[in-house]
Amino acid sequence: MPDPLQATLRIAGSGLEAQSVRLRVISENIANAQSTGDTPGADPYTRQTISFDSALDRSLGAPLVRVKTIGRDDAPYKVEHDPGNPAADAAGFVKMPNVDVLTELADMREANRTYEANLQVAKQSAELLGQTVNLLKDA
Amino acid sequence: MSQPYVLQLAAQRTQWLSARDVLIAGNIANANTPGYQATDLQPFSAVLDSAEVSMASTNPAHMTPGGDGFAEARVVESDTPETTLSGNSVDIENEMIKLGDVNREYTMATNIKRVVHQMIMSVLK
Repeated sequence: MPDPLQATLRIAGSGLEAQSVRLRVISENIANAQSTGDTPGADPYTRQTISFDSALDRSLGAPLVRVKTIGRDDAPYKVEHDPGNPAADAAGFVKMPNVDVLTELADMREANRTYEANLQVAKQSAELLGQTVNLLKDA
Repeated sequence: MSQPYVLQLAAQRTQWLSARDVLIAGNIANANTPGYQATDLQPFSAVLDSAEVSMASTNPAHMTPGGDGFAEARVVESDTPETTLSGNSVDIENEMIKLGDVNREYTMATNIKRVVHQMIMSVLK
């Protein structure tokens, strides 16, 4: 088994990676909050969802986190009346993405917070390793 | 010559602290994992209480029973106030507090090691 403090760095790294994938998914959702289809009656952009899974790393003996799935939200699309839109159907209705920007922003704040927590863990274990190495300095 | 007891204890303490750090890091990394149960290490005092008293070996031919007299700390599920709808019981604020505790106590243990070492060196130099 490797040094526990280095294992800590690896775990925090897996957390940082998972949260950054989550931030990517959120940014894709926000960027496409107004993306309609390009043919009449076509489906617009579908909101993506992300879920995590904890995976026990046998060599570390600790639970790393990984992205389990990036799925599609099956909530219904919002429908707007906009006859001039290229994606409008015969009756003039356009299907808009099922992205709620407020929800995405709240999710982004949470991802941010968890990312910062993982960063703090990584900083701390690096600092503790440094302290141990510094024991040799004044020997 | 065997190591001074203080140094042994400080080494055991840093071992326990770094093992706890791994569990805290695992909890924080899995703060958004559905169904994840937060874990913590048995308190250090409990580990010390369950330690066996080891026999002193005064002759090289003496055999010492396995281990250095300290017991292994067990991983326990931490009792967190609430579990979210997704079955996750990580309380991130609590974990950050624990992280601060580990930092402080680790600094204390390494400083004790340094001071004891300085005391030994002051006799030798």
